[in-house]
Amino acid sequence: MPEGVAESAAGRWRRRSLDLVGRNLSVVVLVLLCLISSAATWREQNPVTSRSGAAVARQVLEACQTPCSVLVVARDTEADRVFVQAIEQGLDTAGARIAGRVFGQPRDVRLELERIAGVGGSFDAIATHRIASEWGPVRTAGTPVFAPRSYHWPTFLTARNLLNVVNQNADIAIIALGMTLVILTAGIDLSVGSLLALAGVIAAVTAQEWFGGAAASPAGLLAAMLLGVAAAALGGLLSGTMVTAFRVPPFVATLGLMMLARGLALILAVGHQRRLVGGGAEGTPEAVRVDAAVFAWLGNGTVFGVPNPILLMLVLFVAAHLLMTRTMFGRYVYAVGGNVEAARLSGVPVTAVLLAVYCLCGAFAGLAGIVDASRFEGGRPNAGELYELQVIAAVVVGGASLAGGRGRIAGTLIGAMIIAVIQNGLNIAGVASYEQKVVFGALILAAVLLDRLQPKIASRRARMTRASTSTPVQ
Amino acid sequence: MNRALAGTLAVVLVFALGACGGADPGAGEGGEDTAARGTIGFSAMTLKNPFFKIIADTMTAEAERHGFDVVVTDAERDVNRQSQQVDNFLASGVAAIVLNPVDRIAIGPAVRRANEAGVPVFTSDLQAVAEGVEIAGHVGTDNYQGGLLAGEAMIEALGEAGGQVLVLHFKQANSCVLRVDGFRHAIGEYNRDRTEGRIEIVAELEGGGLRDEGYRAMADGIQAYPDLAGVFAINDPSALGARTALEQAGRADQVKIVGFDGELAGKQAIRDGKIYADPIQYPDRMGVMTVRNIVSYLDGEDFERVHLIPTALYRQADAEQDPALD
Amino acid sequence: MLELQRISKSYPGVDALRAVSLAVGAGEVLGLVGENGAGKSTLIRIVSGAERPDGGRIELDGRAAAFASPADARQRGIAVIHQELSLVPQLSVRENLFLGAGWSRRGIVRRRWEEREARRLLRLLEMDIDPGARCSELSLGARQAVEIAKALALEPRLLILDEPTAALSPREARALLRQVRELARRGAAAIYISHRLEEIEAVADRVAVLRDGELVRSIDRRESAGGDDGLAPLDRDRLIETMVGRALSAEFPPRLPGAIGETRLEVRGLSAGRRVRDVSFDIRRGEVLGLAGLVGAGRTDVARMIFGAAAPDRGEVWLDGRRLELRSPRQAIRSGICLLPEDRRGEGLVLSRSARANFALPNLDRFRRWRALVDRHREGRAFSRWREQLDIRLVRAGQRVATLSGGNQQKVVIARWLERGARVVLCDEPTRGIDVGARYEIYEWIRRMAAEGKAVLLISSELEEVLSMSDRVLVMHDGRVRGEILEPANADPAGVLRTAAGIGLSEAPSVA
Repeated sequence: MPEGVAESAAGRWRRRSLDLVGRNLSVVVLVLLCLISSAATWREQNPVTSRSGAAVARQVLEACQTPCSVLVVARDTEADRVFVQAIEQGLDTAGARIAGRVFGQPRDVRLELERIAGVGGSFDAIATHRIASEWGPVRTAGTPVFAPRSYHWPTFLTARNLLNVVNQNADIAIIALGMTLVILTAGIDLSVGSLLALAGVIAAVTAQEWFGGAAASPAGLLAAMLLGVAAAALGGLLSGTMVTAFRVPPFVATLGLMMLARGLALILAVGHQRRLVGGGAEGTPEAVRVDAAVFAWLGNGTVFGVPNPILLMLVLFVAAHLLMTRTMFGRYVYAVGGNVEAARLSGVPVTAVLLAVYCLCGAFAGLAGIVDASRFEGGRPNAGELYELQVIAAVVVGGASLAGGRGRIAGTLIGAMIIAVIQNGLNIAGVASYEQKVVFGALILAAVLLDRLQPKIASRRARMTRASTSTPVQ
Repeated sequence: MNRALAGTLAVVLVFALGACGGADPGAGEGGEDTAARGTIGFSAMTLKNPFFKIIADTMTAEAERHGFDVVVTDAERDVNRQSQQVDNFLASGVAAIVLNPVDRIAIGPAVRRANEAGVPVFTSDLQAVAEGVEIAGHVGTDNYQGGLLAGEAMIEALGEAGGQVLVLHFKQANSCVLRVDGFRHAIGEYNRDRTEGRIEIVAELEGGGLRDEGYRAMADGIQAYPDLAGVFAINDPSALGARTALEQAGRADQVKIVGFDGELAGKQAIRDGKIYADPIQYPDRMGVMTVRNIVSYLDGEDFERVHLIPTALYRQADAEQDPALD
Repeated sequence: MLELQRISKSYPGVDALRAVSLAVGAGEVLGLVGENGAGKSTLIRIVSGAERPDGGRIELDGRAAAFASPADARQRGIAVIHQELSLVPQLSVRENLFLGAGWSRRGIVRRRWEEREARRLLRLLEMDIDPGARCSELSLGARQAVEIAKALALEPRLLILDEPTAALSPREARALLRQVRELARRGAAAIYISHRLEEIEAVADRVAVLRDGELVRSIDRRESAGGDDGLAPLDRDRLIETMVGRALSAEFPPRLPGAIGETRLEVRGLSAGRRVRDVSFDIRRGEVLGLAGLVGAGRTDVARMIFGAAAPDRGEVWLDGRRLELRSPRQAIRSGICLLPEDRRGEGLVLSRSARANFALPNLDRFRRWRALVDRHREGRAFSRWREQLDIRLVRAGQRVATLSGGNQQKVVIARWLERGARVVLCDEPTRGIDVGARYEIYEWIRRMAAEGKAVLLISSELEEVLSMSDRVLVMHDGRVRGEILEPANADPAGVLRTAAGIGLSEAPSVA
């Protein structure tokens, strides 16, 4: 009897863990991908920090008798200055002498060496980091060079890279929010990439031409950005109207809007350039540059070290999650997606819900467009090409059903991150873009396959549950 | 069952990653051992065009000679992708970055991030003109001079008769704008003191710098301008596309084509008389020069910050003696 | 001919079948009865090759048979008419009838022959359907008939009918029963599944009762009858008792005390094309008005127009003395009108959502907080209250409504309107496909809603139901009201049927 009980306890544990895996399959996949990416990017790391600076100082002091005179070499960056400060502090307390310091390029090192030689000075050692230790003048200076010892760690798992991963895909993730709503209603929106470009270009053009260009106030820039988002939302409203009032299939309606919005973005950008340079200027669809420096804050600024696009993305995700789980609107969206007729006969304002969904999807695309324009300091009429496919992939990988009615905001976040991690992992591992496409295709197929297999898995799990609970009875 | 499924998926992905990683010589653990002096990150405009492939290959070969390792990435003409690649280079700690800027303005913020991280950025072929960014060095073709040569070739091809000429443009690329400017200048000089046998540039059509788009643009051009005597295509792929369209229309003998670049397919077409001549660029020299500039930079030596390589005209006679063509 | 030996099958959470042994011989019709969830459908899925049993043995003509797929079973002469329709809506009736049958010559469709054959099959079923019509244009009843014709076209050795008459009018149902008997006379076997015991009585040689996955009773009516062609009458009350496992006082609950009050709903001259022509009636507080008629008589259209789900060409609807402008179901619900739709799964419920979410859908404004937020506590409390009162059986609170039985699904729909506190309740075939026990409970709720002063419109194709449950019955034929029955309890069903079928209309407009 006690044996049976123990077995059932083990069985229960097994069952529960399997349950957890099954319910959060996409999370498991994401974690696995992170592990794979980490393994594939196991590399030598040479951080430039105050701790590595202190380590160099210790190395120098161990190797060279005091009084020892040291030349400190570093680049002209903030991290390098912190690093150098730590070196000097370490050397100072031990009484070593600083013969000189260079902040700059290899050429500056050469000039400094020449200067020291010119005045007949000398030094016993060079303290620097790994990168500068490979500079020609440093290597040929004829004195011992001290640099922090490097160690091995996955490049993927560095703070800089992880922030990169999320930041680079924040726009995709933001659009995926809107797309999730549309897909929940069994629709599709192909126009998001074009609306992104249109919003960016409109924000840039109005910032330049209406709100004062380089002299634009933050309020003016905000107004320009809002105009861009509003234009994209209006585009969404247009496809929503086509879908509801004229019963045009969403695929066709948004395909039309996709081309329309892209064309408008290009026309606006070229028109702006013509006005800028004069009538005969070349009609090249280049980015519409925004001169006001503040404009770049949204896309390139950080708060507490976290890039703004990431923060915006997180805020929008929380808002969308609440919208879908806590509000009447969210319930209505799920109902319309699950069964339009039943929703209508239950008093759901189906037309209004669909209009709002497409409008929101456009607005999210517009927001992503503003982020993009800010990131590149100008509206790019060619931005967001083929984004619609990446976005749909993120939503589908996140577990939403293209048939409508099934899918969660949190799932979409994970889907977007899965795609981000794969892309980043492949990039740092140095995989060429063609092979990346193959991996992506396989991933999307795998996700859809998993979606199809899930009911079968569920039934097997349930049978296992019964089997394991019935054991102790026998 | 779940575990099996998730496991299968993971195995598939590992396999994919492994297989792909293995396909790239510059990637993976191999990098650390050979790269005695560090890694150079290269973001090519598009590797679909052999021109940039040659830059990448010669860079890799030259860098190896100096003890560097090159990671080649393809921006696929997308500045978003290119700036992501720059960020990834910064995260993996490269010694220098080389770009063919996809968008000479919008790449600015990414270059600025590299500047802030103290990693030098070099450009090849195309220049970046964004404000407040520091480019350590540039190697490119003298496109304006190339455009002048193309104009000379067209004048030579049409002879005293002159006639109507069409331009297959790719306005998005500033290099191409310079080529067409040079071309227009040469034609303008030629026309200045003559009333007869003038050469008239009737239109600039968007050829996309690609074979299929060039084909389509040319097919339209033949319809619109039936008296065409010559075509200037801003690169070889669009020149070859134009040639196909002319052949299909039965006008291949009447319309002379001047291309640009001198890539292998273009040179073969010149040998076969399909293209009259090309001002040829030297992507191989570009790759070598870029690496040498990087080495000079890291060695603290002075070098020419902007280096423009002049083009040379390449005609059928040159092609017949070219050992690269058999 | 077909013998099942100790067949078992389990699904997550239930043992659908437990060692069921059954046999059906040539020339025999086996009636299979049982409450929903008793295992009838599972049994059929196993026999038709759609599922494999976990245990047991299937023998066909004395040899072990394991059907790999429905196609495999079909090839061996087993045809199934499912509850769920399997027609391609975009194709015509004729194309559907011969789809997958492979009756072509060298890949070329024999159109003329098919046309003739289609007409013959449909005539057998006494259905007036154009073989060239698209299936999507047909009514539910007509589609069901095509489905049956499709099975008959195969001339099967064993025909399995799963609730085939649910969407048929009484006349069509009778024609179907005749065809089943005819098939048996020619030596084929049939398994007939129905909730309608009078049909079982009319058609079955033997009756098998399933309850909770077990065979609890088997009655051979030929043995006890003694005669050659006569079959012993069925004791329906006992049969129901066996199915339910408990005794029911009667098939229909008694009318609750409560007077019929003043006029609540008035319908004046409602017309829509040829489907509904000048329909007028009124329903008083506390009254159940029955609407009888054949499928396609326009009853559903009337209900949908009152509910705002379809637009009439002409006509007015008045509620408590105020005229309603009904443009959408949303407005109708706000005015206090609600509908239990005919197609519960297709129109009543969002199957991918939980029972609770379905319950709350039209009532979200009642659980509202800060204009747009849903107060989940209030929602949960309201749901558990109705869940308890209506005895909605759920495994978990968040259980998806798709996994519920028909009766529980209908109760969810009723619960949402009870919470809403509607003034007018439109019930369109409220007990279709629902097992006997739950059916009784639904009748009780209809009675109770009337007693609360609501006006109830009861549309039903089951004469017994509409006559027993209504205070007054209107009979519709071809879009018009053709008769009124003031004392339905004492009415002659045959007379009602005649009116519904349009026989003798010129003589008397009323059958009362």
